[in-house]
Amino acid sequence: MDILKIRRDFPIFSQKPGPEKSEKSGSLIYFDTSATAQKPAIVIEALSRFYTSMNANVHRGLYELGESSTTHYEAVREKVAHFINAKHTEEIIFTKGTTEGINFIAASWAEQHLKQDDEIVLTQAEHHANLLPWQRVAQKTGAKLVFIPLDLETYTFKNPENYITSRTKLLAVTYSSNVLGEVWDHTQQELETLIAQAHSVGARVLIDAAQAVMHRRIDIQQLNPDFLVFSGHKMMGPMGVGVLYIKQALHDDVQPYQVGGSMVFSVSFEGASWAKSPQKFEAGTPPIAEVFGLGAAIEYINKNINFDELQKHEARLCSVLIDGLEKLEQISGIRIMGNKNWLRQHGHLVSFAIQGVHPHDIASYLGAKNIAVRAGHHCAQPLVNLLEVDALLRVSFGVYNTITEVEILLQELTDIVMVLRTQASTQSLSKNLNKILEL
Amino acid sequence: MLYQEELMDHYKYPRNNKSVPNPDFAISELNPSCGDRIAIEGKIYENIITDLGFSGSGCVISQATASMLTEHCLGKSVDVALSLSKNDIIAMVGLEMGPTRLKCALLSLQVLQHGLLSLQENKGAL
Repeated sequence: MDILKIRRDFPIFSQKPGPEKSEKSGSLIYFDTSATAQKPAIVIEALSRFYTSMNANVHRGLYELGESSTTHYEAVREKVAHFINAKHTEEIIFTKGTTEGINFIAASWAEQHLKQDDEIVLTQAEHHANLLPWQRVAQKTGAKLVFIPLDLETYTFKNPENYITSRTKLLAVTYSSNVLGEVWDHTQQELETLIAQAHSVGARVLIDAAQAVMHRRIDIQQLNPDFLVFSGHKMMGPMGVGVLYIKQALHDDVQPYQVGGSMVFSVSFEGASWAKSPQKFEAGTPPIAEVFGLGAAIEYINKNINFDELQKHEARLCSVLIDGLEKLEQISGIRIMGNKNWLRQHGHLVSFAIQGVHPHDIASYLGAKNIAVRAGHHCAQPLVNLLEVDALLRVSFGVYNTITEVEILLQELTDIVMVLRTQASTQSLSKNLNKILEL
Repeated sequence: MLYQEELMDHYKYPRNNKSVPNPDFAISELNPSCGDRIAIEGKIYENIITDLGFSGSGCVISQATASMLTEHCLGKSVDVALSLSKNDIIAMVGLEMGPTRLKCALLSLQVLQHGLLSLQENKGAL
């Protein structure tokens, strides 16, 4: 895998640096792939090609353009099924993204199937997208949320199997954390084992694969979840399209998330019956151009990316960064949040906080140098509170990042820490005001 | 240099970074998108702000603006403080800011004005 050659496929890296008055000097260094991946030209061109020469709605027009649009749309469904090794193409539902996929299952399956005192098992490391929908299900059904605790020494889960009981009706967990990176022991097949255990008590399983899909090969049949969700834009596809996998055996148990056009078998003035999956789950005009673009992204990945090599590449970037941060620790307290061993072996992001320097200031400084990192609570407030920081910095990698870029980042970090670190910690809250804050 | 010297000076040597004994109002707020926190306490005598103190945690912009704002408002009338706008803060910070950073800059003004308004409402209720 030739990283520099791959990098040339992404037009954003050959754009001119920012506006003239900014300090931006070099071309973009993009360390925010966990938020969204950059797009290769082939994906951008696919969108334009669709609207230029293929635009027609799907499953409707009998004219050639309409038939061709339908054929291409359904071909991408097949590509996705193959990409994640799903058994049946009808198990692939197009959504607008991970968040919609999880809300879909919460509203169209969980609300009908969960009742008082049933338990939904989550981890303490979930993104808000895999927490808030379950909070709402719990409020509506009386089910309880149970959290597998995170060990803050090792950033691993403590005995996750203990949280699966006869009361468990749903296990909904992340495949890879958007804050901590790798949280499951993949050498021990920890997640697969937990999923099998949930099934053994009759529970269903939803996997949030948003952070995993661009970094490891997903094998549905090996992992064996009932539901799995991810977003197209995090795997170099366009924004506004995502995938919800629903195991075929559950197609009758899951209700349509929305009703309307193109999802019916027959309709009278009084009622309607649904078409079979996937139409049943895709009311209205889907994001056809985006699906087409997603197909281009999968083609690009299949042709250019070897997941084993990608994982090695990203893990090496993590190692260089962790080594550099550990050196930097000599001038300022640095806390890396995540299991360093796993990040070095198969990670794709590193989150950290630097004592006495707010992540926002670092991110702004780096931004002025055309280096994009993420600062904040990363849509995981309960986790960030658990880590006892206000906010943290996240550097996340993609196939296009290089070791040189990581070295530039480390140099800039050293400079900014020297400038911003304050000796006196004048900013502690007075006690009475702290109380007010604990609303 | 990342920020202007004056801003950095306020960050490194914040003015009015203290608590006010027997304050007439004490209020604190959080910017939930980044975790910046600002708490402001103050004393008012005949509609004049006679004492102000802040504490908090967060980025340079959020903390330095709190320092600048408290310094600016001390000795001025409540009405003057309430009439301060987004543009006054932008001028004070002297920096072009995107929508995210602007929230950091505006937090302390929001906290101060909420504090002053709550004081007025309480008085109205009496």
